[in-house]
Amino acid sequence: MLEKQIIKKDHVTAFLRKLAKGSRLVAPVRNAHGDLLYQEIESLDAQEPDLYGQAQESAKSFLFPQEDRLFSYSADGGYRFEPSDPGMPTVLFGLRSCDISAILYMDVIFLRSPRDEYYLKRRSETILIGIGCNEPWDNCFCNATGTGPFLEFGFDLQLTDLGDRFYVESGRARGDAILNQWPQFFQPVTEEDTKLRYQLALEAKAGFRRQVHVETAFNRLKEGSVDPAIWERLARRCDGCGGCAYICPTCTCFTIYDRIETENSGYRIRAWDSCTHEGFTRMAGGHNPVDPARDILKRRFLHKLYYDYMQFKRPGCVGCGRCIGICFGGVDMASFVDMVCSDRGVEPVARDVLADLLIEAGLVSQSDLQEAMRRRAETGRPLGAVIREMGLATGDEIAQCLLKGMEKIR
Amino acid sequence: MAGLATTFGSGAMTNSIEEIAGAEVILVIGSNTTEAHPQVARRIISAVESGARLIVADPRRTSISEFAEIHLQLRPGTDIALLNAMMRVILSEGLIDDAFIEMRTENFNALRDSLYEQEVEELCAVTGVPSELVRRAARLYAGAQKGVVCYCLGITQHVCGTANVESIANLAMITGHVEQSFTGVNPLRGQNNVQGACDMGALPAVFPGYQSVADDRIRQKFERAWGRELPGEPGLTLMEMTHHGRDNGIRAMFIMGENPVISDPDASVVEKTLSGLDLLVVSDIFLTETARFADVVFPAASFAEKCGTVTNSERRVQLMHQAIEPVGECRSDAEIIIAISRLLGYPMDYENTAEVMEEIALLTPIYGGIYHDRLYNSWGLQWPCTSRDHAGTPYLHKYSFARGRGRFVPAEHTPPQEQTDSEFPFILMTGRVYHHYHTGAMTRASAMLSREVPEALLEINPADCKALDLRSGQLVRVRSRRGEMQVRLRATERVSQGMLYVPFHFAEVPVNRLTNPAADPVAKCPEYKVCAVSIEKVI
Repeated sequence: MLEKQIIKKDHVTAFLRKLAKGSRLVAPVRNAHGDLLYQEIESLDAQEPDLYGQAQESAKSFLFPQEDRLFSYSADGGYRFEPSDPGMPTVLFGLRSCDISAILYMDVIFLRSPRDEYYLKRRSETILIGIGCNEPWDNCFCNATGTGPFLEFGFDLQLTDLGDRFYVESGRARGDAILNQWPQFFQPVTEEDTKLRYQLALEAKAGFRRQVHVETAFNRLKEGSVDPAIWERLARRCDGCGGCAYICPTCTCFTIYDRIETENSGYRIRAWDSCTHEGFTRMAGGHNPVDPARDILKRRFLHKLYYDYMQFKRPGCVGCGRCIGICFGGVDMASFVDMVCSDRGVEPVARDVLADLLIEAGLVSQSDLQEAMRRRAETGRPLGAVIREMGLATGDEIAQCLLKGMEKIR
Repeated sequence: MAGLATTFGSGAMTNSIEEIAGAEVILVIGSNTTEAHPQVARRIISAVESGARLIVADPRRTSISEFAEIHLQLRPGTDIALLNAMMRVILSEGLIDDAFIEMRTENFNALRDSLYEQEVEELCAVTGVPSELVRRAARLYAGAQKGVVCYCLGITQHVCGTANVESIANLAMITGHVEQSFTGVNPLRGQNNVQGACDMGALPAVFPGYQSVADDRIRQKFERAWGRELPGEPGLTLMEMTHHGRDNGIRAMFIMGENPVISDPDASVVEKTLSGLDLLVVSDIFLTETARFADVVFPAASFAEKCGTVTNSERRVQLMHQAIEPVGECRSDAEIIIAISRLLGYPMDYENTAEVMEEIALLTPIYGGIYHDRLYNSWGLQWPCTSRDHAGTPYLHKYSFARGRGRFVPAEHTPPQEQTDSEFPFILMTGRVYHHYHTGAMTRASAMLSREVPEALLEINPADCKALDLRSGQLVRVRSRRGEMQVRLRATERVSQGMLYVPFHFAEVPVNRLTNPAADPVAKCPEYKVCAVSIEKVI
């Protein structure tokens, strides 16, 4: 029985203290320099999870570290190999839907036969607590990849921010167990909570500022109707820095090398690698079966958008938008999709769907909307919330209007 | 640096990097921008995407040249001829900006007279570029409302480096392409803090902020602050120390974060100089080739282990925070200097780097308003920033050049000091690759970067390769008048016939044993970009 409960925001810290006893607690934390990162929280008294922004990096490294010591070796009078223990019970708290979806993707990669024992150990001891996104950020496009802004499954618990409280839903038996183990923190869900949760999820879908036509791109790739010049255009702009792969929550390629510590001892390391590196496929004799000038990016984008679609019925991109921010040359997923779709008359620039629908329905006036947009920009609060607070429309009215415009939201 | 100082009055980027994206015409000369300055290249590419037109002047077919409408593939060391040819076209076709020249500049007649004595066809013959291409480039650049020039070490690492820069400044002024946003002359500085090192007085003749040591008033200001008498004579330049240290009476050296055994031209001379010292102290994060010559080595902290500011190419001062605790016994450069200074009898007492910054602000007018608290959580401030309420300066020379009027300094083609002959028939240029930094002291310690570009390859035109009966991948011996090295070949159209190119990051391919220490007379920057060599098969 997958349960639904309410927890007051005031009680979250106390709940986490109980839940994370004996575990490593990881949550988005804003550091002293203003950067929001998923970090290990050593003391809840000193650090507080920040659930109001998108972390700069995904949570990939907590299950698949950038540099993982697989074992140590020594050769003093006979060889000795000491496998490292990757295990550490972990609570990943406050993960965004894209980042949870990315972990589900990694599961498919690492837990297929032959299973990766290091990943399995970490993953089986990890509790996933996500938070849906009431309003997407500028580069987000998880609506196009089917990985957000709210998830249906894949989490142990998923939170929805209802203002002074979180709506908590369990996604699997372990989630139920957590809710039942500490019932003192939770209250039953009221009808009003359910309604608000529903409205927020609907509004969030309409809040995307970017329209990235992932499915259209897939169809074009499938038809083989993509202009081959695109690959060269992309290749010219790529310096092969690997930034896209390192920041990508679903990039799982790695390389293995030895770190020599002394003459007779050292470590075997597994480290993130990137298919945009020339050395990724270069043979010992110097030959490279993948032509860097044309094929490297073709392989990368086909993998994410075509092969993964064919194999898993979903893209290998979770729409987190991080590659858009990191690439020097604009060789990111959104630009690629735009390039593939651009001659199809598909509008790449986003409109504010919710705003359009509200105007169309005659719910708000142009000047009220402008005031609401201004407040949104000022406070960073979702448009729907601002409109409700200004008393321009009720949650029900907004929901009705969004339901009518369902086609546009998709 | 020196070239822009004589013409504009200030040797730094006139514009912000961000502004490049808004330029109409961009001339990139002597810069492998995509590999050496990717953050600048991304703006150039954006500009081209939104309709800007790009001219690239470079002997090699670099990746940025593939975005260019016009690629002027000139012979190494003929930049002045090329720039003069462009100016001569602009002059003859009446494309000069009379009003700008009249209101803002001086000495134009000297330039005009000098240009009238040179013919476009002759100049183009020197460069090896078809004159029609040069004419098109000249018209394109002169005709734009907002024209930007970006240049780099391909311009400065010549015996005529200063005159090269002055010629670029001439071209910009003759067409009025200075003193506005999206319009100017931009030397791209390497590393994250070369500009900062110069700003802080790591130059022989100036205190921080380019304040002359010879100026009594300025010297007295620093003497009052530091409580010591200070020399009024300029110090020595790098080459005067590493090549002629003995003649200049140098007995001891303290080298911080520099690897001259690999990076200086004619490097075997550097080794001799270092071996002959009474005392050599090196501080670096790894045991570099230079550190191996040292009597004392200090393990220095890396950027991630300390706090402080860096100043980038666009004069932007940015605060960097400590990310990790120092590993092992290493200490920051500042801590090392402070500790030594105390032992030498001059105790320095700084609580933290913010206090050092306060002293910089106090003594350095262009940094006068830059304090750590203002840099916190921001993208930094661009100097000149003279007081706490000064917002910084995105582009220089607004309404007036730093020196008052911009000065035209005519120049004529100066052939490279090094010439090819029958024994050394190829011209060798040195440069960089994307994945390595300088002498590789840091990047080659990274397994991933090392795998990406594991070795130096000598670029050679396929036709030359064939003529010499050599194959791509083959090991060859390269000799110059000063030294030799062994390296593998890579046949590629990126270099023209008669030219070779090799990166200098690799100690096992010590190209700077071959390069020429001949240097520009003003800036003392050596001629890294032209070196006559021969190649032969290694049997």
